[in-house]
Amino acid sequence: MDNLVLVGLTNVMSFTNIALILGGTLLGLFVGAMPGLSATMALALLLPLTFGMDPASGLSMLASLYVGASYGGSIAAILLKTPGTPSAAATVLDGFPLSQQGQAGRALGVSLFASFIGGLLSGIALLTAAPLLGVLVLKFGPIELFAIAVLGITIIGSLSQGSVISGLLSGTLGLLLSTVGMDLITGTPRMTFDVINLFSGIEFTVALIGLFSIPQALILIENAHGAQKVASKITDRLIPPLAEIRRLLPNIFRSSGIGIITGLIPGTGGDTASWFAYNEAKRFAKDKSRFGKGDIAGVAAPEAANNAVVGGALIPTIALGIPGSSSTAILLGALMVQGILPGPNLLTDYGDVTYTLIWAVIFANIGLLLVGLLFTRLCVSVTRVPDSFVACSIITLCVIGAFAINNSLFEVGLMLGFGLFGYWMNKAGVSPAPMVIGLILGPVMETSYQQSMLIGQGNLSIFLTSPIAVVLLCIAALSVLQATPFFRWVRAAMRPRTQTE
Amino acid sequence: MQIRSIYTASLLSALMLSGAAQAEYSAADEIKVLQGFKAGGGSDTLAQLTQPFLRELLGVEFINEYMPGATGAIAWTRLTHQSPKDGSVISITNTPMLMTNYIMNDAINYSIDQLTPIANVVTDPGIIVVPANSPYQTVEDFLAAAEERPGQITVANSGVGGDDFFSTIMIEKATGLSFQKVPFQGDGPSATAALGSKVDASFNNLGNVFGHIQSGSLRPLAVFTRERLDILPDVPTMLEKDIDVVAGSSRGYSAPADIPDEARDELIAAFEALKENDEFQKTAEERAMVLDIQTGDDYGQMMQDMEGQFEEIWADVKDEVNE
Repeated sequence: MDNLVLVGLTNVMSFTNIALILGGTLLGLFVGAMPGLSATMALALLLPLTFGMDPASGLSMLASLYVGASYGGSIAAILLKTPGTPSAAATVLDGFPLSQQGQAGRALGVSLFASFIGGLLSGIALLTAAPLLGVLVLKFGPIELFAIAVLGITIIGSLSQGSVISGLLSGTLGLLLSTVGMDLITGTPRMTFDVINLFSGIEFTVALIGLFSIPQALILIENAHGAQKVASKITDRLIPPLAEIRRLLPNIFRSSGIGIITGLIPGTGGDTASWFAYNEAKRFAKDKSRFGKGDIAGVAAPEAANNAVVGGALIPTIALGIPGSSSTAILLGALMVQGILPGPNLLTDYGDVTYTLIWAVIFANIGLLLVGLLFTRLCVSVTRVPDSFVACSIITLCVIGAFAINNSLFEVGLMLGFGLFGYWMNKAGVSPAPMVIGLILGPVMETSYQQSMLIGQGNLSIFLTSPIAVVLLCIAALSVLQATPFFRWVRAAMRPRTQTE
Repeated sequence: MQIRSIYTASLLSALMLSGAAQAEYSAADEIKVLQGFKAGGGSDTLAQLTQPFLRELLGVEFINEYMPGATGAIAWTRLTHQSPKDGSVISITNTPMLMTNYIMNDAINYSIDQLTPIANVVTDPGIIVVPANSPYQTVEDFLAAAEERPGQITVANSGVGGDDFFSTIMIEKATGLSFQKVPFQGDGPSATAALGSKVDASFNNLGNVFGHIQSGSLRPLAVFTRERLDILPDVPTMLEKDIDVVAGSSRGYSAPADIPDEARDELIAAFEALKENDEFQKTAEERAMVLDIQTGDDYGQMMQDMEGQFEEIWADVKDEVNE
C-alpha cells in the first residue's frame, strides 16, 4: 500500500501533470468566478478533452478544475452578490456586505485561505482515510438519508433573514416546486402539465441561477444612473493578517470537518455543506447579530466547507465506486472511459492511478493558493466595468449557463421565470435561500421516505431501527423546538423553579 | 430483405476492396448524434467507443448533442418529430427506456414506428446480486425465501420503467412469487443499497456491478442471458432454472423514419463492418462492454418484441403500481 502511495506521488511530480494541475486550477478559478457555470458543468465539458490523455494526467486536470471552481465561486459571490457556483450561495450573505464596506480584499483573502485549508485537510483525510472511511458510507441507506434530509430542512428556519414566516413561506415554496416531475416510486408525472421538459423535475441549478443572479442584475440596472457602484473593488490587502487566520482557525477546522462528512454522504455536495457550515458558524458565534451584515466568519465557514467537500466526496468515489456528489460522478465517468471499473479494486488493481488522483487533489490545493493569489485581482477586473455592462453580462452568462446544463432552451425560460420571481421576492423582502434548500432537499426527503416505507412494509417504526437515523431525527426535533415559543415557555417555567430551590 | 442483404454484402466487399477509410457517407458531411442523457453517462461511453471507428468507416465527423431529461424522451421526441429526415441526424437509442417512456406516459408521443432502427451495439445483461453476507447462496435459496415470505423480500431496481424493474416483474409473473420492489435513482444507488445490506437483493446490470463481484462485496445469483457468460462461468442463467427471462439494458443507434435508403444502408454497412473489426472488439472488451451488434431489421424486430412484451406487462401492473 505504501508503495502505491509513493508511486502516485512520483506520477504527480512530472512536469506535464504539474502544468495540467495549475492549468486546471486556473480554468476552474475562471469558471467558478462566472455566475451560472458550475464545477459539474465545466467538468462535463472538459471530460472529452481528457480521453486522449493517460488516466493519471486526465484525472489530475479534472480534479484540479473541481478544486479551482470551488474557490472561484466565492469571487463572484463576494464582488457581485452572485454565487459563481451553487456551493458559494452561502458566501454571498456575508461576503457581499464586506465588499460594500470596502473590505473585498479581506473577504477574498480569507475565502482563499479557508478554501486552501479546507481543501488541504480534505485531501489529507482522503489520503489517510479513504480505505477506512469508505465503510461508513454503506451505513447510509434510505432510512438514514431521510433523517439527514429532515435535519437539513430544519436549517430553513435559521436561514431566513428577518421574518421567520417569510422564510418558512419561501422554504415551503421550494419543497412544493421540488415535487414537480416524475414520481420516482410510481413513475407518474406530477404537476408537469404534459410538458415533457418538466418530467425530470426542475433542475435546481436553473432555479439557483435565476433566483440569485437575475434579481441582482435587474437591481444593478435600476441603479445604473446613480453614482453608486454596487460591484465592489479590492482596495485592501488580499493576504489576511496571521492573527485573523489564527482567530478563524477553529471555525475553519469545524467547517472543513462538516465539508468532509457532508461530501462523504452520497447525494449531498458543496451546496448543502456550505449552508450547513454557515449555520453552524452562526450557532457557535458569540455575536450572532453581525451575521448577514458582513461577518468574516460567514465567509470562512462556507468556503472551507465547500472545498473540503472535494476530498470528502472523493472518499466514497474511490473507496467504493460510489460518487459522493454530481461532480465526482463525472470523475467516476472519466475513470470508466479510461477502462477502469469503479469499485473497491480502485485502491488495489488501479492503485497507481487512484493515488495519483489523490495526490493531485492535494497539489491542486497548493496550486490554488498560488493561482488564487496571482489571479484573483485579475478576476476583479469584472467589477471595473460599468454597472449596466455588468448586468448585461450577468444576464448573458445566466442564459448561457442555464442553456448549457441540459442544452435546453426551455430551461432558459424557466431560469428567467425564476429570475423575475426572485426579483419580486427581493422587493417583498423574502429570502430566496430557503427556497433553494427546499428544492435540493425535497426530492431526497421524499424519495428516501418512500423507499423506507417500502423496505419497512409501510411501518413507521422502521426509522427507530437505525441508531444513526434516531440520533439525527432527535437533533432535528430539538432544533425545531428551540425556535418555538414552547421552548421559551419551558425555559421560563424552569427558571423560577430553580430560583426558589 | 434478401435483396437488401445482398446489397449490404456487396457494399461490404466494396468497402474491403477500397480500404476501410475510403468509404464516403452520401447523405451528409457531418452526423449529429442526439444523446438523451448527460455527457459522461452510459450513452456517452457508447458514443466514445463507437464513433471513432465509424468516423474512419464512413468518412464523416460526428457531433454529439446532449439533451438530457425525461429519461431520454426529450431527445427522442426531437429525433422523431423535429429532425431532418436526410440521414444527417441520428440518436443513441436505449432499450427498454425507449419504449417504456411512451408506454407508461401518454404525454410522450413518439413511438418506435417513427424510427429507422440502424443497429444495436451493446447489451448489458441483467443480473441478480445479493450482499456478501446474505443468507442466500444460490438463486434457489432466494426464490425459496420469496415463497416463504411473499412480498417481504426487498429487491432494489434502477427505477420504474427501467430494465431491472421490468425483469423483476417478469420473474414474478413466471414464478408466481412476489417481491417488495424498491426503486432507486439508477443502477449505482441500487447496487449501493445492496452493498450496505439495506435491501435483500438488487436486480442490476453486469457492467455496473462487475467490480463489486470481483472484489467479493456482492454475490451474483443468476444472469438474465440465454447462455452463461464467459466472465462469470459459475453463475447460472434463469433459463437453466426453467424461468424464461432474458433481459438487459441495450444501447444502439437509430435514425428518424423515412431517411433515404442509401443513407440507411451505408450506416448499417458500417455497423456490420464493426462486427469484423478486431480492434473494435478489443477496445470494447477493455472497457467491459458486452457487444451485441444487431443491425437494421433485426434491431427493428428486437424493438418490436420488447414493445409488445412491455405493453403487456404494463397493462397488467399499472394499477398496482399507481394505487
